[in-house]
Amino acid sequence: MAVYRRGYQRYQGAYTSHFTRLLAFPRFSWRRLMSQRLVDIVIIVSLFWPVACMLFVYLCHHTELWQGLGGGLTRILSVNGQFFHVFMTVQSVFAVLLAALAGPGLIAPDLANNALPLYFSRPISRLDYVLARILVLVGMISFVTWIPGLFVFGMQAGMAGWGWLVSNWRLGAAVFAGFAVWSLLLSLVALASSAYVRWRIIAGAVVLGFFFVLAGAAQMIKQVMGADWALALNPGEAMSRIWKVMLGVELDAGPGPWACALALSVTALILCWILERKLRAVEVVS
Amino acid sequence: MSAPEVIFDDVSKFYGEILGVNRVTLRIPPGITSMVGPNGSGKTTLMNLMTGLIQPDRGSINVRGLSPLDPEKLMRITGYATQYDAAPRGTTGFQFVSAGLELYGHSRAEAARLAWKALEIVGMTEAARRKVAAYSKGMRQRIRLAHAIAHEPEVLVLDEPLNGLDPLVRAETIVLFRRFANEGRHVILSSHVLQEVDVISDQVILIANGMIAAEGEIRTVREEIHERPSQFQVRCRDASQVASLLFAQDHVAEVRLHEDRKGMLVLTRNRKVLAEALSRLAQDGHVIESIIPADEDVDALYEYLIGGRQ
Repeated sequence: MAVYRRGYQRYQGAYTSHFTRLLAFPRFSWRRLMSQRLVDIVIIVSLFWPVACMLFVYLCHHTELWQGLGGGLTRILSVNGQFFHVFMTVQSVFAVLLAALAGPGLIAPDLANNALPLYFSRPISRLDYVLARILVLVGMISFVTWIPGLFVFGMQAGMAGWGWLVSNWRLGAAVFAGFAVWSLLLSLVALASSAYVRWRIIAGAVVLGFFFVLAGAAQMIKQVMGADWALALNPGEAMSRIWKVMLGVELDAGPGPWACALALSVTALILCWILERKLRAVEVVS
Repeated sequence: MSAPEVIFDDVSKFYGEILGVNRVTLRIPPGITSMVGPNGSGKTTLMNLMTGLIQPDRGSINVRGLSPLDPEKLMRITGYATQYDAAPRGTTGFQFVSAGLELYGHSRAEAARLAWKALEIVGMTEAARRKVAAYSKGMRQRIRLAHAIAHEPEVLVLDEPLNGLDPLVRAETIVLFRRFANEGRHVILSSHVLQEVDVISDQVILIANGMIAAEGEIRTVREEIHERPSQFQVRCRDASQVASLLFAQDHVAEVRLHEDRKGMLVLTRNRKVLAEALSRLAQDGHVIESIIPADEDVDALYEYLIGGRQ
């Protein structure tokens, strides 16, 4: 064996933090996603409703503009939990569309190109990889969910004054937390379908299908078995019911918030399990 | 102080019921080590094990004092280039290399500096701003190499690194591997081009069916194969006479005269005795021009140890 003299020096400089390292993923992904026309269109269209809601808030605080139309209309113009629930319901649809467009391109190409060994031979774990991908999606979805939501809330607080903010801060917190949970769930659905189906278009369809199929199945079980709890199997309905409780809106007949939270948690666990099974540095032959 | 080694101690890895590698015990010193074996023999499994991508079911691995169970530390000293085109779509060569460095924890400025340095080493600075998707096969191979060496690893693990390279770049790449080896680093590669392995390797690991068939310096491995006579090409002026003198000796199994009658192929069961015999013949006035081992190469080892088993 040849005798080698150590002729190199290890890197002695500082390293960035763990979180900073993860941001390398979203930076490149966001740039790529934002260059996709369909993604841009969905983001732009999704902002129409928040603008309409802001206009509504403005009109609520300028009742003199409505006086000619009678007192009845003025009475229903109020910014409350119901208003924010409608806002969140509409925006959640755009969030689903965005997840279906942006999500499939995040993992499927890495699996198709055998890129995972490349990532996992860096000092990042599988969990880091998933977190980084979730960051990409949550970041994108934020543009159409809690960011405009807080703008609307902020506008209302600004126009209604300090007193309204003190007694209704909970609405703002609910908008933020409710959308955060929804974004997380959507990200998991999109990533799991991206990991499971390597063809991007099909993966996008699976994301949409996930919500449609479960909604249909939940409705069918409810009708056939007469079981209201089945509504909790529809992720959209389950989320909506939790939002209602968070926003202080009266809940109609059906599963309570804890049952809905349980159903969503189980769904999230199944999605995490799929990711755990599919994201391996090396293909495991069974 | 002894040189840092890559050590496999009784390592086995199974994929379900399928054998990856079985009871592998290896000590790989710094330098260029080539892993040779047929497809599915376990080369990539060994590479994945030493880079911490998979964990052994049995046994332990130590990479220059670090365990693959501590990936955070291990991965800073290892550089791995797989045989796949793994660059994300739409990224340029520079982005691919610098993003990899950011994942190691280098700041953006430092990553850019190291990326340009690596791109320069592999001769890709001019094409660095172009998208990887537009690269030729050889360029992709080089960008993968840049990606693997950019963080100055101590253990460079490369899966088929010379595939697709034109002769000039291939030669430059081999020089780069030699430089790394001369600096005391590990360069561990797999290759199917046996002639190339012969030229560049300090030691070889022959692997078949998940088990190590042989490992070490090529000549040492050859000497260990006793059941196969060693082959030497001997060039001399009076070849017929020398051939008859050699054939009379017990250790010589076969002598084949060259067509030009100026040399012969000698198969001996005892290399040392053959050397002594040729030395005596030279002293007796026979002109021996050259003695060249004919089967001290990976080709022969592969044929003897792996080819024969299939």
